[in-house]
Amino acid sequence: MPPVANTQIGYATESRAKKLQLLGILSGFAAGAWLGAAEAPTKLVSIGISPMVISLIMVIGVFLARWSLPALILGTSSVRADVLRAPHLVIWALLAGCLWAVANTLTIFAIRDIGLSIAFPLWNSNSLLGILWGFLFFNELRQAGWRRLAGVLGGALVMCAGATLLAIASSSGHGPAAHSLNGVWAALGAGILWGTMYIPYRKAYLTGMNPLSFVTFFSFGELGMMTLLSVSSLGLAPLWQELLGARSVIFWLILGGFVWVIGDIFQQFAAKYVGISRGIPLSNSNQLWGLLWGIFVFGELHGRNSSIYLEVIGGSLLMMLGVGAIAFSSATGQEQTRWKEAAIRESDRYGVAADFVEARMDGRQLVTEAKPSRGALDWLLVVFATSVFVIFAAMARVPQLSLHWGPAALLTAALFLLLIICGLALWRTTRFH
Amino acid sequence: MNATEPNTKARGRWASILGDIHFWVPVAVLMGGLLLLRFIR
Repeated sequence: MPPVANTQIGYATESRAKKLQLLGILSGFAAGAWLGAAEAPTKLVSIGISPMVISLIMVIGVFLARWSLPALILGTSSVRADVLRAPHLVIWALLAGCLWAVANTLTIFAIRDIGLSIAFPLWNSNSLLGILWGFLFFNELRQAGWRRLAGVLGGALVMCAGATLLAIASSSGHGPAAHSLNGVWAALGAGILWGTMYIPYRKAYLTGMNPLSFVTFFSFGELGMMTLLSVSSLGLAPLWQELLGARSVIFWLILGGFVWVIGDIFQQFAAKYVGISRGIPLSNSNQLWGLLWGIFVFGELHGRNSSIYLEVIGGSLLMMLGVGAIAFSSATGQEQTRWKEAAIRESDRYGVAADFVEARMDGRQLVTEAKPSRGALDWLLVVFATSVFVIFAAMARVPQLSLHWGPAALLTAALFLLLIICGLALWRTTRFH
Repeated sequence: MNATEPNTKARGRWASILGDIHFWVPVAVLMGGLLLLRFIR
């Protein structure tokens, strides 16, 4: 019979692990909502701007947010300390950023060639690849038991089916310009790139890096690759001319990038606490939120026949069913032991202190770690990012669109509610560690 | 001995990165993605 003290420590560890699992699931839900809402500002942009330029401007907004938000929440001293402990992860952060930029560009070509209804389900398969990489490389779903394995795999497949129905419904009546095998390859390629991007994510979080630190270096890979792709595709002078021509809508696009970053930060916390096999499918519920914005705020399906509404309702129910199946298949103690083995392997390979890795897996700081603090540089970053937004807001033109303000206010309230609930839960449980 | 330690450490780190399959899988996929982009453009 184990001593009473040991049993109490065991209960405390188990209860902490359960709390972190719930936190990861909540982060996945919040990620879906914010990533879905990020599409809304892009709808305000009038057509006539090159897709490459739209993508580049959004990435600039993403870059600003990825540096100012971590500076505001924890301070750059915390980012510096994280990088000093695990400098090798900067390589993976840059790699992940490059993967994201190429995938995002491929989606633009996929939508152009085969339309959203075929392209979206193809690249949404990224969650299935994420499950495979999680299983192969990071011991995820090992010893999870058949019920949980079926819950995660089945849930991801059901979500893919739901995504297909939603994509067909949302793009009906707006057929693709031309059916092309190139578009299918582009969509599949984007799914493979995004699915593989989760290898760096999981590696970073198993080694103890804070998601807020990881995203700052991720943004260099993202912006660097996107700039390279835009310049090589359009040429420097035409790109500059397009940017000048687009100045009245830059604000809306960088706002979309900013909203996207908030969703992505929640997605990173989901990947940290429930792994990529569960966190990624949960945050893929963004399509559902995107559709809510499309239907209720922008009136996208107004006047369509009832079969489309049936597809939307069926697709949404399937998505919710899949999300529910994954959310109820949280990792057990045995599976978490396998995660810890993967973390120990990483700390041994790269010489990261084992106690640091263990503390960060538990979402806490080491006693010897300095408390995060904000300095002049952090406030400078926040002021700079805010000023850029204010300058472009002053230049912005309000597009002539018929918006339904009531649903927009409701959805925005839901977003902020999720932000507050999830942000507070993360702060109370982990202090963002 | 101490003066050469950081270099040895850095060399060891690079050797660990270059011998890690977690590095080569994303690199291979990125290269494939760039080739695909070039092909479809």
